[in-house]
Amino acid sequence: MNNYIEKNILPLVIKPITYLGNEVNAVHKIPNAAMIRFAFAFPDTYEVGMSHLGMKILYGLLNEEKDIWCERVFAPWVDMEEQLRQHDLPLYGLESMMPLSEYDFVGFTLQYEMSFSNILNMLELGKITLRSAERKEAEPFVMAGGPCAYNPEPLSDFIDIFVIGEAEEVILKIMAAHREWKKAGGNRQDFLKKAATIEGVYVPAFYAVSYDEKTGVITAFTPIIETAPATIRKQFIEDLDRAYFPDKIIVSYTETVHDRISYEIFRGCGRGCRFCQAGMIYRPTREKNVSTIQSKIKALIASTGYDEVSLSSLSTGDYSDIETLIKNLVCDAEVGKVSISLPSLRIDSLSIEMLEEIQKVRKAGLTLAPEAGTQRMRDVINKGVTEENLIDTVKTAFEKGWGHVKLYFMIGLPGETLADIEGIADLGQKVVDEYYKIDRESRNKSLKVVLSASSFVPKPFTPFQWMGQNTPEEFKNKQRHLKASIKDRKISYSWHDSGVSFLEAVFARGDRRLGLVLEKAHEKGCRFDGWGEYFDLQKWTEAFAEAGIDPEFYALRNRDYDEILPWDFIDTGVTKKFLKAEAEKAEAAVTTPFCPENCSNCGIMEFKKGWKCNG
Amino acid sequence: MVKIQYQFKRSTPLRFLSHLDQQRLFQRAFRRANMPVEYSQGFNPHPRMSFALAMSVGLTSDSEYGEVIVSEDIDVETFISRMNKVLPNGLEIINAKICGEGVGSLSAALSKSVYRIRINVMPGTDLAELAESIQSYLALPQILMQKRNKKGKYVEKDIRPFIESIAVFTDQEKDKVNVEMTLIYIEQQCVKPEHVLESINNQNSVVFLIDPTIEIHREKLLIKADA
Repeated sequence: MNNYIEKNILPLVIKPITYLGNEVNAVHKIPNAAMIRFAFAFPDTYEVGMSHLGMKILYGLLNEEKDIWCERVFAPWVDMEEQLRQHDLPLYGLESMMPLSEYDFVGFTLQYEMSFSNILNMLELGKITLRSAERKEAEPFVMAGGPCAYNPEPLSDFIDIFVIGEAEEVILKIMAAHREWKKAGGNRQDFLKKAATIEGVYVPAFYAVSYDEKTGVITAFTPIIETAPATIRKQFIEDLDRAYFPDKIIVSYTETVHDRISYEIFRGCGRGCRFCQAGMIYRPTREKNVSTIQSKIKALIASTGYDEVSLSSLSTGDYSDIETLIKNLVCDAEVGKVSISLPSLRIDSLSIEMLEEIQKVRKAGLTLAPEAGTQRMRDVINKGVTEENLIDTVKTAFEKGWGHVKLYFMIGLPGETLADIEGIADLGQKVVDEYYKIDRESRNKSLKVVLSASSFVPKPFTPFQWMGQNTPEEFKNKQRHLKASIKDRKISYSWHDSGVSFLEAVFARGDRRLGLVLEKAHEKGCRFDGWGEYFDLQKWTEAFAEAGIDPEFYALRNRDYDEILPWDFIDTGVTKKFLKAEAEKAEAAVTTPFCPENCSNCGIMEFKKGWKCNG
Repeated sequence: MVKIQYQFKRSTPLRFLSHLDQQRLFQRAFRRANMPVEYSQGFNPHPRMSFALAMSVGLTSDSEYGEVIVSEDIDVETFISRMNKVLPNGLEIINAKICGEGVGSLSAALSKSVYRIRINVMPGTDLAELAESIQSYLALPQILMQKRNKKGKYVEKDIRPFIESIAVFTDQEKDKVNVEMTLIYIEQQCVKPEHVLESINNQNSVVFLIDPTIEIHREKLLIKADA
């Protein structure tokens, strides 16, 4: 197959090099019968998937095991899909080019809901039976994990095994169980039963859901076998400093979305922004040591040849000793030669001086995320940023020569009024005014302020999980209103399609009845829904109608606090009681402090014996 | 500061690299090999490296040339072995030399390219007849071809001076032939081998089926002795 594809298929597609799997640091092994074959599947393009840190960690981790060969598979772009279908060739794992259906495991990472249709498409292209219940003995076990697995239900018809939480430890337990199972010689069901007893593993086939006939809400969610736990506890790595991180990562030939070394300096976030799912599910906050970070980054530069490192986390400036870290990195003989970027900076937490120290060469755009336009709204969402913080920050930035500022906002937040929308435009105007206060000689010659507003999608395990999303009509009105409120020509405005946000809201908080919708949408050809040019709301609308499911039930409805939510069987450590209290504080526009300043008892300290947050 | 001129091969596993991909790949390989590459001065410093030719996607080659400027003296053997240790399968440095100051650019020194092309032909094509029609093609005093100039306008250009020789050979596969072609660089200009095949099609009737599955391999790239 390899030679045929290389000679006859790849010359016909636009990015042939992304279908070969022969990059620097890609792992190639000599397979044998005892080897566990694992295909790590990213349900989006190569360029997007290769930018994902989690894949790099798990790829390295699994390949450390002699008897496991972990390979990669991405959603083929539409031209490649067409070729595969035309030639009746299966989707394959990149490294060995083995058909997907021959692996022991196909493990999907769920980064965003809009990639769900790609999962079905990839399974079909890989000639794997779509529905878990109909899969044959010899077919792979289809796994999934990642942030969207915190509400696994919409995918429960198609996934055999979900991993809830951080996978580094639990995935090895699943592999160990597989080795034992293979030795003992059981059937498919035996393995799934075994897997279901591993903490952090959810096997949806072993649970039954019942619904209220009239209202449609869930009345019960129960295990149907004795050994399946009623509650699934999310997994987290206690000692992140000593947790596995690869010394070698694959260097793509083609340019990827984040074409650099991405090194995770801490996990979790104690800010408690109420809209942010990551801020809740990745608790507790755990840091790596400065020396670990420095030596690992050095090793990665040497093994990859990358000239850029990004220090990744949910809020980089909150790293407790950020100044020492940056000073050490900049002064390091090897690290100092490459450029360092700090994504996810809070407006208040890092001085522009520090940014300037590391970005000596280029003054690219400055991106800040006030998230909301008025102080009241920022208090509602607990984004502890004031207008003063923002203005101070941009003032310093303009003084230092920046000229391009991008501000991120959300619209459709709970309790939002038109005044809050106008606040976004006002804030943009104040940024422009700040620029003109700077002396003509010392400021950047050109000014550009971009206001970007996305449509808010309420997510599970956040204080806003009960809230109905704004209707597409409301979003459109708000977008129009915002556009009309912008008076200065230096300000440009960009927004997102509200149809996509609506669908995202449906799947984010959906239940297993959505499996049928997903299947129908897939049959109609839906894929790459996150890519504007391929998103087709009409097809989705038809799919909902044919499945007899009202999408508004999931997206737009305000839910009662005592309703059984589809994801209630998962315990993230952050209690429902805390989320409810936060929702009530949001209603009153009362803020909650940053964890190190004052513990608000979210529950994570009681979640694992002996665990103590260090701030 | 030392300028190193190196010759390298690109084979099938990496034939789909774009010119930019290959540039990035070499930049990173230099870094992995710990080569003290010089950077340009200015706002946006670039590593001082270049290739004699931009390789098109799909092309394999036994002979490409590249240059890099390093800040320390390094002997060519060390350069070759350190680079080949870090280059992925599909790229290999086969030769290198240190150039003195004042040596002109590689692209100005290009002389000839020898290609071997494997291509589909119209079913039932007779090789002897094809060879004959190529001979009469080459006997033409001038061969005009539409070419896009730098401004994007189409102009007629005589491509005959750029062609030294063309020969056809059989292939193991039916309805495929091998074409060997030597093309000449004149004042840094040249024609692409697939354009020559297209112009042969235009002169006679369509013989060569030019599609993306064409395999083009550069066997030799000759540079003028003084470079």
